[in-house]
Amino acid sequence: MIRKELVAASAEPLILSLLSNGESYGYAIIQEVKARSGGKLQWTDGMLYPVLHRMENRGLIKSRWGESETGRKRKYYSLKRDGKTAMAKHHEQWSLVHSVLAGLQKEQFV
Amino acid sequence: MFDLEKAIADWRQQMLTAGIKTPVPLEELENHLREEIERQVKSGLTEQPALEISVRRIGQPEMLHREFKKSERTFMKRTLIILAGVFGVLVGMALLMPAAHLYKEQGMVHNAVVGFGWGIPIVLLGASTTFYGFNKRKA
Repeated sequence: MIRKELVAASAEPLILSLLSNGESYGYAIIQEVKARSGGKLQWTDGMLYPVLHRMENRGLIKSRWGESETGRKRKYYSLKRDGKTAMAKHHEQWSLVHSVLAGLQKEQFV
Repeated sequence: MFDLEKAIADWRQQMLTAGIKTPVPLEELENHLREEIERQVKSGLTEQPALEISVRRIGQPEMLHREFKKSERTFMKRTLIILAGVFGVLVGMALLMPAAHLYKEQGMVHNAVVGFGWGIPIVLLGASTTFYGFNKRKA
């Protein structure tokens, strides 16, 4: 399991990156993150929604009510222009952290 | 006999009591809950344990309410900063316009100087506050 703090910090970049593949809704976002991390990255399901609402208030994403194939109401989220910019920044920062960490780890094996 | 609809209605009531608002975000959370129950039932559970697991996964009503409140508060704060900025620009303009009129009619008389002297800094302050508020929204 990944630590709580890291799960919280990675929520925004993960949501932005998932939405850059097309619009989605809360339940599907959670399932996809679970599947892609082999179940190791898990949110308390409900906690995703305040994060989504905060991102919407900040103008990073937008939402619309739609319907599922079975007629159930769903709130779909999609990326806005500012969201794309924020995603690029996140990628840059996470790549930097990753490369520093990987470099240090390599030195330990030399 | 377990009644799923009644159990969901009870869960809704708990959420409302904790202060989660309807229709948004309660509808969204309920849709999530129903979808999770459906998935659990498809994977072989009966309705009652499926509901219990799904309710646990969604999280405690009080904890969710706290998080929603946090995001509402930041939004309100930023909106207030923007409104204060716009108000500042309007007040500044209300001082500048008569001063400009006076300047055109009578030249740089005392009242025109006072109008410009207050109007320009207030407009600038208002504009930069508005700008700050907008940028803070994205931060």
